[in-house]
Amino acid sequence: MKRTGFLTVALIVALFWSLIPIYWFCRMAFLTPLEIQHYPWPLIPHAPNLAAFYNIFGFPYVLPGKLLSPASGQAEQIIRGLQDSVLVSLVVMVVTLAIAIPLAYVFARMQFRYKSSLLFAILFAVALPPVSTLIPFYVMYVRLGLAGTLGGLVIVDLTITVPFVTWMLIGYFRNLPPIERLAWVDGYSRFAALTRLVLPLARSGVAVAAIIAFLFAWNEFTYALVLVNGTTANTLPTAVSGFLHQYPEPGNLAASVLITFLPPALVAYFLQRHVSEMNLVDPVR
Amino acid sequence: MARIELQQLHKAFGDLAAVRQLDLEITEGEFLVLLGPSGCGKTTTLNMIAGLEAPTSGRVLFDGRDVSKISAYQRNVAMVFQSSLLYPHLSARRNIETSLRHSGLTRAERDRRITDVVRMLEIDPLVDKLPSQLSGGERQRVATAKAIVREPAAFLLDEPLSALDAALRLSLRSEIVNLQKRLGTTTVLVTHDQVEAMTMSDRIAVMSGGRLEQVGTPDQIYNEPATLFVAGFLGAPPMNLIAGQVEAGRFHGVGLSVPIAAAPGPVTLGVRPQDMRVLASETEGALVAHVFALEHLGRESVLIAEADKSTKLRVLVPPSFGARVGERLLLAPDPARCLLFDANGRRLPLGTPVRS
Repeated sequence: MKRTGFLTVALIVALFWSLIPIYWFCRMAFLTPLEIQHYPWPLIPHAPNLAAFYNIFGFPYVLPGKLLSPASGQAEQIIRGLQDSVLVSLVVMVVTLAIAIPLAYVFARMQFRYKSSLLFAILFAVALPPVSTLIPFYVMYVRLGLAGTLGGLVIVDLTITVPFVTWMLIGYFRNLPPIERLAWVDGYSRFAALTRLVLPLARSGVAVAAIIAFLFAWNEFTYALVLVNGTTANTLPTAVSGFLHQYPEPGNLAASVLITFLPPALVAYFLQRHVSEMNLVDPVR
Repeated sequence: MARIELQQLHKAFGDLAAVRQLDLEITEGEFLVLLGPSGCGKTTTLNMIAGLEAPTSGRVLFDGRDVSKISAYQRNVAMVFQSSLLYPHLSARRNIETSLRHSGLTRAERDRRITDVVRMLEIDPLVDKLPSQLSGGERQRVATAKAIVREPAAFLLDEPLSALDAALRLSLRSEIVNLQKRLGTTTVLVTHDQVEAMTMSDRIAVMSGGRLEQVGTPDQIYNEPATLFVAGFLGAPPMNLIAGQVEAGRFHGVGLSVPIAAAPGPVTLGVRPQDMRVLASETEGALVAHVFALEHLGRESVLIAEADKSTKLRVLVPPSFGARVGERLLLAPDPARCLLFDANGRRLPLGTPVRS
C-alpha cells in the first residue's frame, strides 16, 4: 500500500515535469501576444486562434476584431528548416540502418580476430562529448567545403548515430535464438538468413533503431548551429532558435516549437507497440 | 539413408581441442547416441557431421563420399536443435515448409509431403500456430516434422528432449525411437542423459574430454565398460569405485579384501550396487561401513554406506531393509561381478576368480 502511494506521487511529479512545458507551449501557440502578456494568465485560452501557425509559414492572419497578425520574418527560415530537417533526418535514418544493421549483426553473431578491439573502436565515438569534436569538425569542414551543406551535417550526425545504433542492435541481435543454424540446414546463405529470417524476426529492434537515428538527427542542435546555421542549409531547431535574436514573438516561437514536437509525437503514437515490445534480454517471447 | 564415417576428425577452437582424432562409423539405418558430460565435444562432433562446423583436420564421409567441404544443406541432413529451435516468427506449417524451399519439388508434391508428416506426427491442430503458442512437447513434434519432411540422408538431434519435463521426455523418447525404426533413417542423437542413451540407442558412443571412450551396444557399455570413465558415467545408482591394489590374487582397499585373478599393482575395483550384499555375520575380508542414508525407490532401496570419509558405497537392498543412520554394517561384493581398472583407467582382463 505504502509502495503504491509513493509510486503514485512519483508518477504525478514526473508527469508534471514533462507535461507542464508542453502545456505551456501549447497554450502560448494559440494565444495572441496581448493575451500572452495578460495577467493572471488564463489556464485554457478563451478564444484559441491559429494566427501563429499561419504567421510562421509566411501568411498574415486577421484576428477577430479586424486585428492583423502579420507574417513572421522567420517564415522563410522555418519553411526551409522544416524541409531540411525532414530530408536530413530521413537520410540519416536510412544510412544509419544500412550501415548499423550489417555491422551489429557481424559483431553479435560471428566470431573473428580482434573483435573486441574493433568493437571498442566503433563505440569510442559515443563516449566523446559532441562539443569536443565541434571545432575540429568545423575547421575540417571549412577546408573541405562541407560547412554549410546538408551533406556535411548528415555525415556529422552519422558519426553519432551509427555507433550508438550499432551498440543497441548488437545487444538485440545477440539475444535472438540461433536460427542461423536452422537456416544453414534449410539451405539459406548467410546473407539470405539475415535478410529473410533475422531481420523480420528483429523488426521491433530495427524499428526502434530507426526511431533513435531519426530523432537524433531531428533534435540535433549543437552541430547544426555551428556547421550550417546562417546558410541556406538549415535545420528546424536552429531556425526556431532564430526567434531568440529578434523582436519577441512568443506565439510564433511556441507554434514552431510545437511543430518540432510533431515527429516524436507521431513516432510515439505509431511505433509505441514496437518500443514497448522491444525487449533486449529476450527479443522473442 | 546414409552410412556415416568420421576419420581422424579433429576440431580445435584456438588452443583448445574440442574433439581429438575421432574415428567412428555409423552404419546405415542405425540409431547412434553420442553420450558424454557437457564440454566433452559431443555437440561439436554432431555439428561437424551436420556441416555446421568445419573440422580442423580429418574427414566426414557419407556413403564413402567425402562431404567435409560441402554445406549442411547439400549433405541433406535434417537437424533438431536444443529446445526444439524453430523460426519464432513463422507458423508451424511455414516452419515445416522452409525445409523444402530449395527442394525443386512441385507445389503439389510439397503439399503432399507436408500433409503426410503432419498426419504422421498428429500435429494437425498446431499447423497455424506460432512456436511461442506451442508447448515444449508440441514444439518438439513440429521440429521433428520439419526434420523428416525432407526425407533426409541422416537425422541429427542435439539434446532434443533436454528442455522438457520428465513425463513428457519419457513419452517422446519412445516416440522418436518408434519413428526412427519406421523410417529407417540413420540417426545420431546427442545427450548427456545416460537413461536416454541406454533406452533409445542401437549403439552408444561415450565421449569424454574430446575423445571417444567406447562405442558399443547399451548392453556392452553397461556390462563391459572399457574405461573407468564409462563405468562411472553409466548406471543409476552409479557403480561403486574402490581404489586399492592387487596382491597375491586378492584385491585390497578401504578394508575390503576380494579374491580376484589379476596381476599385482594399483587398481580401481568397480562393482554395481546390485552386485553388493549386506552380510549378516562377521566374515573375513568384508568391508566395514556405516549407514549414511537409505533411499526408498519403492521396488527397492538404495543403501548408501560410508566406508571412510572419502568412500561412499551404494548397495541395492530389498524395500523391507531397515537401518539407522550411523549403524555399523558389513558389505561384500560378488567377486564374479567385479571389474578392475588399471592406473590409466583401462579395464583389466580378469581370469577365473579364485574361490576363497
